[in-house]
Amino acid sequence: MSSTFCVSITHSKQDPDKATVGFVVANAAVGSDKETIAFLSTDGVWAAVKGEMEQMEVGDPFAPLRDLVQKFVAAGGRILVCSPCMKLRGITEDQLVEGAQPAGGAALVEWLANGSPCVTY
Amino acid sequence: MSTVPQHWHYEDVFDAFELGCGQLLLDLKLFMRTVAPGTAILLATRDAGSPVEVPAWCRLTGNRLVASAHPFYLIERKPDPK
Repeated sequence: MSSTFCVSITHSKQDPDKATVGFVVANAAVGSDKETIAFLSTDGVWAAVKGEMEQMEVGDPFAPLRDLVQKFVAAGGRILVCSPCMKLRGITEDQLVEGAQPAGGAALVEWLANGSPCVTY
Repeated sequence: MSTVPQHWHYEDVFDAFELGCGQLLLDLKLFMRTVAPGTAILLATRDAGSPVEVPAWCRLTGNRLVASAHPFYLIERKPDPK
């Protein structure tokens, strides 16, 4: 069984439900002792942007996205944010939340090519 | 109102209330870090997915599911890695 996991999140601002469930599953992976990355691309990049992610709350039974992301990072999860997707939206690195870092396709390909399963939201 | 099976013996309790899925599992993992290896934990989780989720989490993490009677689960904390 793989000891790593990847959750790819491609929606957030346009569909906060998907970003929320994506991070819930990412927390399930971290909580199940998997070394986990959340890879944010296209509209999903907003889920790691300060001032934006705080506005994403889909309601009970889900915690606000901010809380889910903070827990994920505090538990050792890494957030990789597609750098060209950031550039397209005018997002700079200093706008990212703690624990998130710009990255690109090579980082994702390397992670998956080493055997990590991946689920996309 | 369901009650904990009388014959269950446990040393600590983690009540997750309505939490399920990743919101439960990460908190459960962090809670397990606070108890000694071998400790018997009573987990209470009223989420409808827990009868599937909790056994899967135990298989993934190596913690032993001793018994279950939803919403209650008796789990023995795994040994620390050598």
